[in-house]
Amino acid sequence: MPDAFLHAATLLACVAGMGWLALAMDVHARQAWGRALAPGAARLLRVLGGTALVVGLLLALAADHASMAVLVWVMALAGAALAVAFALAWRPRWLRWLAPWIGVAVRTPAASAASSRRRSSGPA
Amino acid sequence: MFQNFRQAMAWLHTWFGLVLGFVLMAAFFFGALSVFDREIDRWALPATRFEPQPMPSFERVLRPAFERLQPDPALVEAMRPRVDGPMPERFDRIAYWSAYTTHRDPVLAIYAGWEVPGAKNPDEQLYALGTIDPRDGSALRDDQLKIGSGFFYPMHYSLTVDWKNLGFWIVGLAAMAMLAALVSGVVMHRRLFRELFTFRPDRARLRSVLDLHNLTGVVALPFHFFFAFTGLLIFASTYYFPVGHTQLHDLHELHEKHEAAALGLPHGRSGVPAGLANVDAMVAEAQRRWEARGMAGDVGFLVLQHVGDANGYVSVYRAGTDRIALVGQGIHFKADTGELLREDPPATPAARVAEFLTGLHLQHFRHWLLRWLYVLGGLSGAACIATGFLFFVEKRKRQHAARGSQGARIVDALAVAAVTGMVLATLGILVANRVLPEDLAGRGDWERWAFWGTWLASLVHAAWRSAPVARGLPNPAWREQAWAIALLAVAAPVLNWITTGDHLLRTLGQGYWPVAGVDLSLLAAAAISASAAVRLGRKARAAAAAAALREAEAGQGEAVHA
Repeated sequence: MPDAFLHAATLLACVAGMGWLALAMDVHARQAWGRALAPGAARLLRVLGGTALVVGLLLALAADHASMAVLVWVMALAGAALAVAFALAWRPRWLRWLAPWIGVAVRTPAASAASSRRRSSGPA
Repeated sequence: MFQNFRQAMAWLHTWFGLVLGFVLMAAFFFGALSVFDREIDRWALPATRFEPQPMPSFERVLRPAFERLQPDPALVEAMRPRVDGPMPERFDRIAYWSAYTTHRDPVLAIYAGWEVPGAKNPDEQLYALGTIDPRDGSALRDDQLKIGSGFFYPMHYSLTVDWKNLGFWIVGLAAMAMLAALVSGVVMHRRLFRELFTFRPDRARLRSVLDLHNLTGVVALPFHFFFAFTGLLIFASTYYFPVGHTQLHDLHELHEKHEAAALGLPHGRSGVPAGLANVDAMVAEAQRRWEARGMAGDVGFLVLQHVGDANGYVSVYRAGTDRIALVGQGIHFKADTGELLREDPPATPAARVAEFLTGLHLQHFRHWLLRWLYVLGGLSGAACIATGFLFFVEKRKRQHAARGSQGARIVDALAVAAVTGMVLATLGILVANRVLPEDLAGRGDWERWAFWGTWLASLVHAAWRSAPVARGLPNPAWREQAWAIALLAVAAPVLNWITTGDHLLRTLGQGYWPVAGVDLSLLAAAAISASAAVRLGRKARAAAAAAALREAEAGQGEAVHA
């Protein structure tokens, strides 16, 4: 049971890490919040992202023999990157949960119309 | 020929990818299925749906089973011309008995080999294999097709083309092309990290297909690279360079003798008859020794060499369920006395790297998360190649349409057959497995025909429906086959329920994951495929409406002029 817990934590750390790294990029921050982040906020996300990926590796090492843990981690990174990319494509605003301290932009009517159009045309 | 390095790489990537992409798709897709080959076997062979068993007792279970084994009469007949003198009634010069199991096998595979007196080539042996129920040693039918480990797995590494090992060479060539495609792809991709998370499904088709191609290729790049590489490594050591056995036979033989002497293990038979001590005691001793080394474990592989001869010995190997490396830590005992002959020392660093690389690919470990992550890696590889095809077709389709050429139709039909057709064929064999009568003669062959027949039907259908491609429009076969996948992927679990009574509520309630997992995966495939079909239908209707509008406008224009 603790192994399952550690594995879940590994996956979670990798998804969070990849999510933070993505949100630190201008283009993806715009997808999530509708605006670019201040340089300081982006740097913080990047550091958080890197740290979370390292934490993911440590969690994997705690669960398994080192040879296996490395594979679990590398594959979890791939899975996490895919999950983040698909979230950005279809449900970008979900990623806001990763950084709730970042305020939502004051939305101009045009921007909100554009985003609702995108949402409604997106597949369910 | 090329203005710069990047263009040269693009050419290499496009054409290598196109020619060998079909093979690569199959290698990745069936590789992903092979991760759960034993579980697919359980689904396909309902009589074997019980819990995995440890290596059974030799004295109680294995010995009687081995003693029952004799080579197939057809094999004996086939060898007769290569033997001086008559063939014996019963083969008793045992070269080896062996049994191999993993933590996922409820049934046990056993093997035996015999030396044949008077054989013109003394190295030529007769062999037999059997399947037993390890709980009581009873023999199980061995003529049924194990669809997972006996069909999908060989599809993965040889496309089941056995003639002169051609399949191995084709798949190996494709693995090489994969390595080249990965390197050239990385060179071509200008914004590898900046666009790591980029997938824009709402963009123009060409763009979104390329996004998905890059995404599935880049995020699992280490997986793609290491699996192509380690696959080649395994092939190279087994099939491509078996120089020791072919070119350097005498030297190889001498080396084997020296090696055996150095290891303290006998080489060949002595000709002096001898008994067999209690093998269970040897296994217990081996397990005690592993435990003393801090790596208590189960037996994965048990081999008895030269049973009944004074040179006989018993090797016990540990199952590698908790390591990446395969079986190992062999401990060897003298067969007639049970005395310890040798304990394999820890592997050298080079051997450990080799063990890690092959073990990484062959995955005998007990780690369900990693298994599923491998499936994800394999499917993303297949998706990467499939989107590569789509990109190739989409890019050329309009040019071909403008020139009135039909070339894109062929590639498009092949792409349909390679993508949806491959999934359909896979479902076809599973459905056939549940529909065909249980005691049909040559049932396994019928199942194989169902597989290839479905695949061929998909290609014919795709070619028949491909006319719109020449006009720069999508092929309706994509949508229709996506619906067919959804239909068959629901039919398979339903048929499983009807024919065996194992519906999902029961398998999930009992926690019998091999069957529940296959059923759930099939239903998930059905859901994904149906939603893709709905989306393709919506796009097709939108395109048709736009075309109708254009025609109507053109018509109105003419009316005004008239």
